[in-house]
Amino acid sequence: MRKFLTLILVLSFVVAPFSVLTAAAQDDEDRWDGADDLPVNPLPCGDEEAPAPEPKDYDGGQPVDPPDLAGEDIVLVDVPKLIGIGYFAATTLGQQQAAEELGNVEVTTDAPTEGNIDEQITFIDNYITRGVDGILFAANDPVAIGPVLKKALEAGIHVVGYDANAVPDAREWFVNQAEFNGIAKALLDSLAAEKGEDASFGIVTSTFTTPNQARWISEMWAYANECYPDMTWLETLEAQEDYNLSFEQSNTLIDKYGDELDGLFGMTSVATPAAADAVTQASLCGEVAVIGLATPNAMKPFVNDGCVKSVVLWNPVDLGYAAVYVMRAIVDGTLEPGDTEVEAGRLGTLQIVNGSEVLLGPPFIYTEENINDFDF
Amino acid sequence: MASITQTVSVRRQRFSPSSILRSVLGSQESVLLLALILLIVWVGSENRQFLATRNMVNVFAGNAYIAIAALGMTMVIITGNIDISVGSLMVTLSMLSGAISVYDGYPSWVSTDLTIALAWVLPVIVGALVGAIIGFIVTYLRIPAIVVTLGFLSILKGLLIIVSGGDRITGMPKGYALAQIRPLEDVSMPIFPAFFQTLTMPVFFMVILTILVALWMRYSPTGRALYAVGGNAEAARLSGISRHRVVMTAFILNGVFVGIAAVMNATQFSVIQVTLPPIELTIITATVVGGVSILGGTGTVVGAMLAAIFLNTITKALVFLDISPFWTRAIQGMLILITVLADLYRRHRQSA
Repeated sequence: MRKFLTLILVLSFVVAPFSVLTAAAQDDEDRWDGADDLPVNPLPCGDEEAPAPEPKDYDGGQPVDPPDLAGEDIVLVDVPKLIGIGYFAATTLGQQQAAEELGNVEVTTDAPTEGNIDEQITFIDNYITRGVDGILFAANDPVAIGPVLKKALEAGIHVVGYDANAVPDAREWFVNQAEFNGIAKALLDSLAAEKGEDASFGIVTSTFTTPNQARWISEMWAYANECYPDMTWLETLEAQEDYNLSFEQSNTLIDKYGDELDGLFGMTSVATPAAADAVTQASLCGEVAVIGLATPNAMKPFVNDGCVKSVVLWNPVDLGYAAVYVMRAIVDGTLEPGDTEVEAGRLGTLQIVNGSEVLLGPPFIYTEENINDFDF
Repeated sequence: MASITQTVSVRRQRFSPSSILRSVLGSQESVLLLALILLIVWVGSENRQFLATRNMVNVFAGNAYIAIAALGMTMVIITGNIDISVGSLMVTLSMLSGAISVYDGYPSWVSTDLTIALAWVLPVIVGALVGAIIGFIVTYLRIPAIVVTLGFLSILKGLLIIVSGGDRITGMPKGYALAQIRPLEDVSMPIFPAFFQTLTMPVFFMVILTILVALWMRYSPTGRALYAVGGNAEAARLSGISRHRVVMTAFILNGVFVGIAAVMNATQFSVIQVTLPPIELTIITATVVGGVSILGGTGTVVGAMLAAIFLNTITKALVFLDISPFWTRAIQGMLILITVLADLYRRHRQSA
């Protein structure tokens, strides 16, 4: 038993370095560490209007013979990934606000208490049987949820996704909360506003190969090249999704670059509060700006004591609100395949991107003024 | 119990230059200490910033909670067992500590100070209880420790996710942040005053506990019995040592130290989050690199502490030397490999 364990331990440690070395051998062009090699699409600098996106053919699905309910009362069900957490409570709140504004929409949220795809499918299936006019969803699994949504479409029920997409032909539209280039722009603009257009900064990410983070960093690199040529990227450090390691790596960046460091970007909802913790404990609030992607609850202590000025994410209340408006527009026939924009109440006109996605707009910046209004 | 101290022989050394050299290079602790000093001097000469006070403090403080947890792991491994549930247990106890401190349903006579004291002490007690349960299953039900602790790893992770819902704890009361206290802040030490003034609580816990445990393991009958059980269980049994009691003790103390590490960990931050990194691997790495034989029977807590600091120093050193961080894990892996092979080699020579 012991010999066997020893053998396993030894073997695994022999193999580990090799796998790491091959990863290190990858060519990283001149991009920042942690960026991927995919094509980038930086947004225009500052307040300039983004150009209309490349039109792409509509690739969503369509319901079979839906009843014509234009202008009439409709009953919707909302099946998010799970209920009982602040995030989806916020999307539900937005849906209720939209329903109240519209006056002819009734929406109920009903979903499992755990983010479980099997249970989510059962919930949707039950509502198809019971009969509703439309289904809103945030998928626990983009592929596995496909068949049940298609079943809904076949039954003439309208289907709109938000937050977490399904395969495109299983829903009519998806409300996309944020695109990579939008997040990248918001992060860098926040740093420029806080520390000037010649700031030097470090990045704390999860790992260099995590898809979302790598995409964000790539877009940040592209946007900084275009809009902030005088900014200096110092270093990207990996910190897994580990609070301790994120804290330590932030400390290392602070210690290594000293006065040179003007800002730290946290690329995960773990790295951002950890970086803020490191800056706070080093008594460098104000000297080193911490900007990042994170949920409001994790950042409240730092935003409320003034150490962190801007937290970048989207607003889940707006996300739920937009989803209901999109559903109403489909039923009323004001949003049809091939359209390039849709009206969404207080959010104004939203753009259609990627064929069948409605873009919520620029990311939401949580600041001292608004962060305490959110609980997720 | 007095006879045990004699049966487990205490090495005596004659002092000659060559024997001193041999003993220095022959013990993992002195090799590590030497390597640590050389590494710090070398990196410092390459990049001055490395020697800045704050960084030096972080070099020692960064892995202090790992070193504290490694105290228990050292005992467990020395008795010939292992505990891979420590990472999950630590995160669970950190959350428990945070939850106690922010809970607002206490009766009115419970003051904030009492709440904080509870938040510091209760996780240690719960840690000891969990250790006792694991120890009981391992010894009296005769299930291998790796299986039992693998089970506990899953149970604790599952419970943690269900109970916390993946949420985080913030808004701990003032005074809770034990790990952020700088005990020597107002004391002016004759050497490196700035360094000592900036040192935070975890470093003091690490050093003092390591010294206490090292003395206990070296001189107390129960401490010696840990080595006896792991080194030669049969001989230990014949000399009247109860293996069950010794292994139970090791697991209970392990739980205590994981509890202390958890409190250090929780009180370090303003946000306590359920992140489940494989801390157990870092702890086991520190223990093994510190010279504790994975076959049981030998090793010291001093080595484990030095190794924990050493691992943290390497991680930081690579950044300061602008070497790709991909090397961090590669180098850690190689270190483990070298120490394990060296250990096997030493054993081979001893038995030959």
